[in-house]
This record gives sequence, C-alpha cells and structure tokens, in this order.
Amino acid sequence: MILNRTTSGGRWRIRPDGPDKVTGKLAYLTDMSREGMLIGRVLRSPHPHAGIVAIHTDNARKIPGVHAVITHADVPGLNRFGIVNPDQPVLCEDRVRFIGDAVAAVAAETPELAALALESIEVEYVLLPVVDDPVQAQSKLSPKLHPGGNVLHRTQYGEGKVEKEFSGCKHIVEETYMTPRQMHTYMETEGGLFIPEEGGRLTVYSPTQHGYKDRMQLARILGLPEFNIRVVSSPIGGSFGGKDELNVQPYGALLALVTGKPVKIHHSRWESVRAGLKRHPMTIKMRTGVDGEGRILAHRVSIIADTGAYATLGAEVLNFCVEHVIGPYRYESVEVEGVSVYTNNGVSGEFRGFGGNQAIFALEGQMDRLAERLGMDPWEFRLLNMRKPEDPGPLGQEIVRTDGAKQVWDALAVNPLWLQRQETSKSEHWIRRGTGAAFVMHGSGLGFGIPDPAGGMLALAADGKIEAIFGYEEFGQGLIATLELMLIEQFGFGADDVRIVIGDTDLVPHSGSSTASRATGMMWKSLQKLRGPFLNRLLKEASSLLSIPTESLRVGIGGIWNDTQDHLLLTYGQLAQGATEEIIYQTHFPFPASPTKRIGAHYLYTYAAVAVQVEVNMLTGRVKLLKQVHAVAAGPVMNPQGFLGQIEGGSGMAVGFALTEDSDMDKGVYLTRNLDTYLIPSWADLNGEIEVQAIEDLPEGDEHGPRGVGEIGSVGIAPAIAEAVYQATGKRLNKLPIDPELLQEVPEFLTKAVDGR
Amino acid sequence: MIHKILAERRTEMDLECEINGEPISLDVPPTRRLLSILRDDLQLTGTKVSCEIGRCGACMVLVDGQQVNSCLTMAYQCDGKSITTIEGLGSSEVDPIQQCFLEEGGYQCGYCTPGMIISVKALLTHNPEPSAEDIEEAMSGNLCRCTGYGGIIRSVQKAVSLRRNTQ
Repeated sequence: MILNRTTSGGRWRIRPDGPDKVTGKLAYLTDMSREGMLIGRVLRSPHPHAGIVAIHTDNARKIPGVHAVITHADVPGLNRFGIVNPDQPVLCEDRVRFIGDAVAAVAAETPELAALALESIEVEYVLLPVVDDPVQAQSKLSPKLHPGGNVLHRTQYGEGKVEKEFSGCKHIVEETYMTPRQMHTYMETEGGLFIPEEGGRLTVYSPTQHGYKDRMQLARILGLPEFNIRVVSSPIGGSFGGKDELNVQPYGALLALVTGKPVKIHHSRWESVRAGLKRHPMTIKMRTGVDGEGRILAHRVSIIADTGAYATLGAEVLNFCVEHVIGPYRYESVEVEGVSVYTNNGVSGEFRGFGGNQAIFALEGQMDRLAERLGMDPWEFRLLNMRKPEDPGPLGQEIVRTDGAKQVWDALAVNPLWLQRQETSKSEHWIRRGTGAAFVMHGSGLGFGIPDPAGGMLALAADGKIEAIFGYEEFGQGLIATLELMLIEQFGFGADDVRIVIGDTDLVPHSGSSTASRATGMMWKSLQKLRGPFLNRLLKEASSLLSIPTESLRVGIGGIWNDTQDHLLLTYGQLAQGATEEIIYQTHFPFPASPTKRIGAHYLYTYAAVAVQVEVNMLTGRVKLLKQVHAVAAGPVMNPQGFLGQIEGGSGMAVGFALTEDSDMDKGVYLTRNLDTYLIPSWADLNGEIEVQAIEDLPEGDEHGPRGVGEIGSVGIAPAIAEAVYQATGKRLNKLPIDPELLQEVPEFLTKAVDGR
Repeated sequence: MIHKILAERRTEMDLECEINGEPISLDVPPTRRLLSILRDDLQLTGTKVSCEIGRCGACMVLVDGQQVNSCLTMAYQCDGKSITTIEGLGSSEVDPIQQCFLEEGGYQCGYCTPGMIISVKALLTHNPEPSAEDIEEAMSGNLCRCTGYGGIIRSVQKAVSLRRNTQ
C-alpha cells in the first residue's frame, strides 16, 4: 500500500500531542523554569588533549550571585558515565581528552553571572600530543588515551575460506569507503531543569531515550539510591540517538544538590556541537569477488571506526556495523574484521542507523560495481545473491523468517521510477539525471546477549481513564499517537477514554529503551499480552456491578455496552468507582533474541528497497534529489502517519549524510560550530517527490507483529544517491558527503579563456 | 571582560511595544534580544531557541507582520513595534494554518513547528497566491530535522490552497 493520508482513511488521525505543538503550548523540558532557579553552565576543555595541573576556582566563587562552583572533588559517587562502559569523567581530574570534556560547573543567578564565573575559573593545562587519526592511534608510538590503550573494541566474523575463493573469482572489486562525522542536530539542544525536593529527593526534567538508564547512571554519580531520583524525560525536541547517553544531567543534578536550589541548564548550539555525540566516521575497505555467473564467492571487509574520546555505545555500534556489512546477501566465504579506536576527536556514539548507515553505503556500493563488471542489471544481481527466507542471518544466526527481502525487491522492480531509469529528460546540457537503488535489511532490538527488557501496564484509573503506562519516550516519532491508535483499534476504546503515561520513572514500569527501532513492536507485544486479562477483568467487574453475565457485555467507546452494542450500560468512570479492587495489569518480557549465541546478533529484521532519481549540475557539482521511492516490509502498519514520517524523516537525514553534512575537525578542534557551516537539508533540498510503500504481509503464524521502522529510512539513501550520481556523471564516489568539486566539469569556454586561445 | 560588563550592566531602557495585541512596557537593556524577552522574561516559550544565529528559524516571530528571527532582534529594535508570537496566533481558535499542520501531520517533535507556522503566516499575509518559488524562499529559513519536510510541505500546500479559496 502506498502510504498517504488518502490511503490511510480514518487511520490518519490528528496526533494527541498535535494541538499543543502547533500552538506552542507544549512545554518542553527545556522550556521549564522555577521561581528562584539558578542557571547552570559547564566549563569545557579548550584543548583536545591536555593534562590538568591545577583548577583555581576561588575567584569564581567570590562573585556575588554565584552559588556554586564544582569540580571533580565535588562528585560524591562514581565520577564517570557511559551507558555500558562508564569511562567518561563527569568532571575531569587530571586530564582532558577532547574539546568538550567537562572540567568544572557553576550555578549562578543569571546567565551573565554564570558566564562570568566560567571565565573566572583558571585551569592550568599541559598540552599533550593530539591523537586525531584512528589509524595512527593504533600505532605503538601513539600516546595512550586510556589505561587499556586506544582500542575500544575489536571484533571479527568469518565463514568459509576467503583467500581460496578469491582465487576462483572472475571479477573482484576492491574499494575503500569513507563516511562523515554526522551530527544529530536535534532542534532542541540538550538541557533541563533539576529540582531538589523535600526528603532529599531530586527531580530531573531532562530529555533522554531511556529514563531508567539515566536514573541508574545518576544514582551512581550522586551516590544516591535510585528511588531518590525521579527522571522526567518526555516530551523531547528530537533525539535520533543523540540524547540516549547522559549529557547535561550530571551537572544539573550535582549543582542542584550542592546549592539546594532549582538549576536550569540549556546548551547553546555550540556547546551542543562540542559536547554532544556524533555518528562514527568510518573507513571501510571491501574486497568482493564473483564468479562468471555473478555469484559472490568471497567478501572481505575491514572497518575502522573513530569512536572519539570515550566509549558510550561505540563497541555496540561496531558490532552492528559488522553484521550489516554482510547484510542481505549469500557468500561462499566472508571475512570481516572491525576495530573501534579512541582518539581526541569528539565522542562518537549512538545515532539512528547505528553503524548500518556506513556499512550499507559500502556494501551497496560493492554490489553496483560488481553488477557493472559483470554487465548485469544491478537489481537482478542483487536478487541472484539475496538470502532466501530460510537462510540464516548475516552472522550465521537463526533469524525470524519472513519474505520481506523478496517482497521489497519485487516492489521496486516494477516501480515506474526504477523501470524508467534509462530515460533521460532533456534540459540544460550541464544538468544530468541518474537513478540508483539500494537494498537493505536492518536489525531491530539491541541484539543477542544485551539485556533488552520490554513491557508495560494497563490500568483503570480512579477517574475512569484507561491508562496505558510505558517507560518509553516521545521524541517526535509519534509514539503517543501510535499507542492511542492501538488502544482504539485493538481494544475498542475511544480516544477520550484513554490516558497515556510515559517518560516519568515515578510512574512508569521498566519497558527498556526507546531506541533500536524497538518501541512500537514492544508496545504491540505488551498490549497483545495484556489485552485478554485486562478486558476480561473489565467485563467481570461490570458483570458483577450490573448483574449481567459477561457473555452479554462488550467493551466499547465510553464504557461497557450490551452485546448488540446499542446501549451503554456502564461508563468507565462508574466501573472504576464500583470495582472491588484496583484494576491494573503489567507485563514484562525480553525483546525476542536469536537462539544463536553471537553477541549483538539480531533476530528481527526489517527489509527495504529504495530508489532515487537525482539531478547533477555539472557546473556547480551540486546534487539535487528529484524523486525517491521506498518499499518497506515491516509487518502491519500501526500508525500510517507515523510510519510515513519515519521513512520520510529518516531519508531526509540520510540525504544530509550523503550530500552536505560533516562535523569538520582539525587536530581535534571543531571547525563547524553551528548551522551556518554545518548544513542540514532545508526545504529547498528536500522538496522532491517521495513515495513510501508499506508491505504488511507476514508469514502465517508470525507472532512478532510490527517490525521497527525508526531507522530503516535512513540507511539506504546514501548508496542509492551515490549510484544515481554515477549514472548521471560516470563518476564513482566513495567518500561522503559527496564533494561537489569532484563532480564539477570545467566548461570548454573557460578552458579557452584561461588558455588565451 | 565582556562577561563582566554584561553581568554588571545597569543601563536599561523603557521598551514600549505590543506583544500579541497587548501593549507592554518593560525595563530592559537595549541589547537584550527579543528571544530572551519572550522566553525568559515573559515565559512565552512557544518561541523556541536553537541556533541563535538566525539560521534555523525556530525563534521566528512576526514584527509588524514580517517574519523575523527573534534571536537576531534587539530590544531597542522592537520599540513601538507590534510583535506576534505563536501564542498570539489563533488565540481563540486555531488558525487555519495550524489546522492544516494538524491534519496533514506537518510536525514530529514539534520544536521547529511554531517558527514554521509563523513563516507560513507571514507568507500568506503578504502573498495570498504564492508560487512554488515564493514558498521555497519563505520557508528556507526554517529548518526541521524530523520530518524531511514531507508533512510540512503538504501542510503548507494545503494552507496555500485554503487561502486561495477563501479570498
């Protein structure tokens, strides 16, 4: 089905959070304030690598209106953070490892006083050699950035004998692909409000993708029991993985506890750039060989990821990349090795696509080159080598069988955009058009061996509202709207009957993270588990209140109805009042994982095929996206507006990854500090046509329901663009973002003018 | 010591302007940005802060009906002016432009949305029948990171055709 408002019919609904968003009434956590609050600021290192000799805070402390100046000595608990591997200092002790490293923090009565306080702190540094290249960082001569050296994580995967297979190959393509340090660029920068409460409790109002994980990390830093901390984490002005790790929370929390006053922190864009996560820049070497018929015999890959100064989820991103450089194809032999390396560059971490973006850009580039060598149609070449439904996953692991791969392949094969790819419309002779396509499979969930809990609650509240209570976050994807639609469609409730409770650790159960394309699927599964017991209980309570057998009652809009659904017998409010005891049901289960014991290997996959048509201006070298089509096999569509928005939005982000975005660094210092030099796509860049086709069929008996779509829109666009550019210009580019200079052709008349002939 | 000067400044001006239809008088330093006046002094937080250099449009407001980045507008520039923020649009019922965004799903996280809607308002106030180029120019100063602009483009197209039909 082509997704749009018309085809969605009544399922296309105004989002529950919509009215407050379009009127500006919605209070984001960074919009909050409190009477008497202080402004928090963080002093960050001006050097990418230096030793700290001394930190002098006396002058700053003396300023009237400055209430606190804190350093590492003021951290009561663990002076480190990191979701899996806590290796980043909250406040640096004796060394700074990147330009965003925090050295001190202040709380003052005004922003101006806070700025003055920062300026009044004197830090004595001894400069150390900057390690800015992940290859050099691995040399024995390189300074060691961490006690264990400069390798955060090394991993490999192999099957068959690659060297032997290469010797039998008819064609071999060997290329090196490079990808940029992309920035999440959520419009709302990091921030929040931190309030010390009665009884030693602390309330944290600050965006994150996993409230309970923030609570755990903050408890560890503050030396407090977890239940002393309440984390309120939604609504969020965009995240894309970037707010998954702690950012301002440790500083806001420490300053609030030290001063006993509410503290607000809100990053400027430059501070967000400097301190925030980025996508791992990767260099991926691939050598791939085929026989005369086009079957892939050997695929050798080596990945080097620049993880920057600290770990966060760098190891997990690399594992994901290793899985996805193998991807949806069959090989006689495969050998992959990957290394994630510490440098003094900005910290790389979790970002929509999670290593898949880089992997798939390289892998699909190989497929297009091999097809060309063979003289085969690139789409037929992919089909020839595609994994079959009964095949194992990329890492040899058992995966949930679907026909998604073939379904999306078929959908694109007959799409007009793809069928008419050879037609070139005539315009100015310096404008050239081309079409390219990519084929992807993308795992969801955190993968084997990583705790990946899920679950939620349903309750009938005292005021008669049906409460759906989940530990997930709303950062724009439409989670609230999707949950509301599920409750309407699968339970028969009316929108007004329902109250959705998320993003508050005092109120919600552990549902795991809102990451890895997992939340919609896990809400669906939770509701599947809760539906029977919850509805039966409602009917049973109603039955005893009404003295009517449950078989003659129905759950519906507004309350309990008779079995022909023409009389409302009892409102939910009346039911709540009359119920014998609290009606509340909870479920808890892990995200489905493969029985194959390979760390990080995925079990559930979404499949997509994407084609784009571009126009290249040969004078400027600029690439413009004219049309794109996405076929996505992700099981039933839970919320058409949300699904469409994820694919369109993920794609828009990937256009930036392919064409304009790179956080440029020179010797560990950011050159792109704001949106004047860091260019995300604007309206003018993304006003082409886009078609999103959802393929909803799942094999009979499939019990996993909707698959994730949060990331898959963002992983196939870059290779499709690169191929389209090649078709338009005959130039193959391996480095993103595509450098317009490499596409520019000097017109004949200019050569003449310069030559003077 | 710019920070010292800013921290200790005492010079204030009497700013007289109209905000969302109400006359207002404030004692503020003449260089205080309109963005701060709105968000920090008046708690009109529908106007968002993001790049603070006039590149993203999250802080867009109307000054005498023109779209303006409030992060680049100083208090003294607002004297005698009429300022409309997102809160001043459709205060009794939602503006038709807001309704179009709701119906077409022209937002996700919503952080760029107030600025986006202000820009559409400015466009349609002055140009009831904008061409595709007019729209592109009016909207290119507003960045969105969530939607890829798909829903926003559909919302604006709808608002444009609505405006054309109600002339």
